Amino acid sequence: MKFKSVAKTLGVAAAAVGMVAVSYGTALAKYPERPIQIIIPWGAGGGTDATGRMIGTILKKYVGVPVNVVNRTGGQGVVGHSAIANAKPDGYTLGVATVEIAMMHWVGLTKLTSDGYTPIGLYNVDPAGVQVSADSPWNSAQEMIDAMKANPGKFMGSGTSQGGIWHLALAGMLQAAGVDSGAAPWVPSKGAAPGLKELVAGGVSVVTCSPTEAGPLANAGKVKILAAMSDERMGAFPDVPTLKEQGIDWALGAWRSFVGPKGMPQEAIDVLVPAFAKVVKDPDFVKFMNKRGFQIVYRDPAGLKKWYKQADKDMGGVLKAVGLVK
Amino acid sequence: MRFNDAITGMVLLLFGAAVTIHSQLSFPGLPGQNYGPAFFPTIIGVGLAGCGVILIIQGVLKRHEVPLVVMGEWARSPRHRTNLAIILGCLLFYILAVDFLGFVPTSLAITMLMMIRFGVRPLNALYMAAGSTLIIHTFFYKFLLVPLPWGIMQPIAW
Amino acid sequence: MDVIATAFGLVFEPYVLGVILFSALFGLFVGSIPGLTATMATALLVPVTFFMDPVPALAAIVTAVAMAIFAGDIPGALLRIPGTPASAAYVDESYTLTQKGLAERALGTSLVCASIGGLFGTIVLVTSAPTLADFALNFSSYEYFWLACLGLTCAAIISTEAPVQGLVSLLIGLFISTIGLGIVGGYPRFTFGSIELMGGVSFIPAMIGMFAVTEVLRYTVTLSHPPVISQKAIGNLFAGLWPTLKKYKLNLLRGSVIGTAIGALPGAGADIAAWIAYAVSKKTSKEPEKFGTGHVEGLVDAGAANNAGLGGAWVPAIVFGIPGDSITAIVIGVLYMKGMNPGPTVFLNDPELIYAVFITFFVANIALIPLGFLAIRSARQVLRVPRRALMPIILMFCVVGSFAINNTVFGVSIMLVLGIIAYVMEENRIPVAPAILGIVLGPMLEDNFLTSMIKSGGSIVGFFDRPISAVLGIATILVWMIPLVIMIRRKRRGPKLV
Repeated sequence: MKFKSVAKTLGVAAAAVGMVAVSYGTALAKYPERPIQIIIPWGAGGGTDATGRMIGTILKKYVGVPVNVVNRTGGQGVVGHSAIANAKPDGYTLGVATVEIAMMHWVGLTKLTSDGYTPIGLYNVDPAGVQVSADSPWNSAQEMIDAMKANPGKFMGSGTSQGGIWHLALAGMLQAAGVDSGAAPWVPSKGAAPGLKELVAGGVSVVTCSPTEAGPLANAGKVKILAAMSDERMGAFPDVPTLKEQGIDWALGAWRSFVGPKGMPQEAIDVLVPAFAKVVKDPDFVKFMNKRGFQIVYRDPAGLKKWYKQADKDMGGVLKAVGLVK
Repeated sequence: MRFNDAITGMVLLLFGAAVTIHSQLSFPGLPGQNYGPAFFPTIIGVGLAGCGVILIIQGVLKRHEVPLVVMGEWARSPRHRTNLAIILGCLLFYILAVDFLGFVPTSLAITMLMMIRFGVRPLNALYMAAGSTLIIHTFFYKFLLVPLPWGIMQPIAW
Repeated sequence: MDVIATAFGLVFEPYVLGVILFSALFGLFVGSIPGLTATMATALLVPVTFFMDPVPALAAIVTAVAMAIFAGDIPGALLRIPGTPASAAYVDESYTLTQKGLAERALGTSLVCASIGGLFGTIVLVTSAPTLADFALNFSSYEYFWLACLGLTCAAIISTEAPVQGLVSLLIGLFISTIGLGIVGGYPRFTFGSIELMGGVSFIPAMIGMFAVTEVLRYTVTLSHPPVISQKAIGNLFAGLWPTLKKYKLNLLRGSVIGTAIGALPGAGADIAAWIAYAVSKKTSKEPEKFGTGHVEGLVDAGAANNAGLGGAWVPAIVFGIPGDSITAIVIGVLYMKGMNPGPTVFLNDPELIYAVFITFFVANIALIPLGFLAIRSARQVLRVPRRALMPIILMFCVVGSFAINNTVFGVSIMLVLGIIAYVMEENRIPVAPAILGIVLGPMLEDNFLTSMIKSGGSIVGFFDRPISAVLGIATILVWMIPLVIMIRRKRRGPKLV
């Protein structure tokens, strides 16, 4: 008896919800008419996740529909980057493509390149830095490189996985200084934080992650930032010299761009590109990026296309030099 | 479904050997390292094969007590056999169809089918399948923002 | 002191308390339905907690599990079917009591002992974890490698009757953990060109498959009909309880200590704690002949032990990231997702969150008494919920939960495949718990090994160079010897027995 009445109540509820649903169904309207989804190829809590979520929040203001952010993690970004490229190109699934898109096809992880996307805009570049422990004898990048040259294999670097962006930063810097990139072996780590932990504990000699990631430890006096691998000094670290100032012609950074799958309708592009250009200038977005120490660098779709091409060439060069190209 | 240890062991032996051979042949080494991506899978493969051998020996020793395969009682009951096939079939159907049909129709169909197979009366099954589908959908889609696919219901999405 | 005040603030807010109440009711419901385990309760909760802040998420799990482990005693006493495996040890005892018309004595004792045992385990957790963590701050990849080894070894050997089957399960779990693109190697393994598999086998769908889908499959192929519930009224739960507890206060303490210790051992959880506590109780009792005839003494020991084990299992989970049982294996996954990397630094980075979790342990175990009382009162209605309608709904929850973590149907495929594998494993007496520990600890084992090797330039000596590392290494090797020693002793004794 009781069982039956529960079943009936559920049934009535179902019918009611169904009716409401039908009454909501309206004729097709202009883009966008339903929620947009942003795919983040990296885990919750990281930098890409934080910036992607912020874009979602602010983009909502300019497109007038809810924007949901989902993480598709794993496979060092391959899974999420592929998910964006393989999504239905209807303008309702977008994503954040990071520097790894210019790297992973070189090492044979996937055939996907930036050609698989409709570019919407570049929004951030974070240069790599040279971080050593506070009690390290080195006080400049050149001193460190000389020591590595004199004792190949003795000093190790860490900060990301084997063949990850910060690994290339170290290898490329050595290369540019005329030292064999194998002179400082790489100790793979799950990310910058565990790498910095090893650095402080004395397990490795240098971590070439972004200075932003090392900021708190530098402020606490545990870590010295010797150089930034950028063309100009970083706004958040005006006292840190660039490698170029120290006579080493090498710059490398991680970057993030906002994209959709290839073949999106022009109607959607015409809405998204100007909306995204407004997001990047939005005071809330600027405040957030500055607070977290992320550098805003904007490029429109045409500029982003050029950016992709250059990055692809640069990354291919370093990866070949390090011997990771398949 | 219980197998004699000898059969389980044989399966593990073959699987372990396959893992070992695949790891050894196709995984590259780390530059300048003796231990690379192949190292752990090889240990695991050898371990599984070793356990397989032990189980084969145990199974052969007990071959007079334990038959090669003991099917569960359900295997003799056509109704239960069909039920098992239907459950697995429902999940497979969900995996293949949900993106096209959408969550609501797929879930409604398989929940109702399973309930009827388990002995709920069809009308009650319809009520409960509809109710639970909508509750799950509302909870995950609306509150937890999980993008459950709409499929064919996209035009009337709510 | 500031941290603790903040922690109190985090717990005692309406939203978190609401979550605690809801998950308590959920835990009691799942626990009191035979065939739905405490681990399954956790598995079904995780997709929901995924979207919460860390404190309510962890509070939900802590509460649901504590409630479910106790609630498992209810169908044990009324139907002679343990609601969760943790109640299996003394189900005959409590059912015999019910048949004698003493259902209230059985359930009242279980309830109060569960609460006291749970509080004891919590106190041990609260006092030992921060100290241990302080010590563990000096650990490097060498020590973590040995800890992972030790944990996996215990999981395979101690927690099962047949070490070979335990080892098989462990190796299957380790194999699953190698699938995908590794951090150290940077090379995709066993993906066979699948992009989805490059991300590896996601832990949550795997666990939902292994613990929840298997139960649905088992229900599907079980022929027996639900047994009849005893219709006798349940009397005053707390009548005559005080003298019983006073008489067996040493048992209560002993059960709690055994439970906490067993819980803290990797791989052995509340169910094994209850079996061992019951056996010890019988062995040392003044009236062992009364055991099995409706005697409360064993209930006191084992009822306290299984709830004490829950707190114990959190000690290695929080301090080293090594799960004490299959539930904390899931908890570790949740901690990682919340950005609270389990390990000694969690006490430095997020102390207020950890203390908030400790507080919820106390809240849950105290709330157990009134809520458990209600659960016993409404047990008849809960046990009458038709399983034929419940199982399909549970399966849909599994499906959506597996989807929700990565928003991909691939998660549902993982759930299905691992559900079938786990079902076949259990049918063949291969336990599932070591496999789940293998999945969690596999990357820890491999990464720490390879990192250590790179740091030491390929020399094994590094693993025994540091004093703590050496001690842990020797301990691991000694544990490996246990099955050999047992075998040799059996062989020696064999002829004498014949």
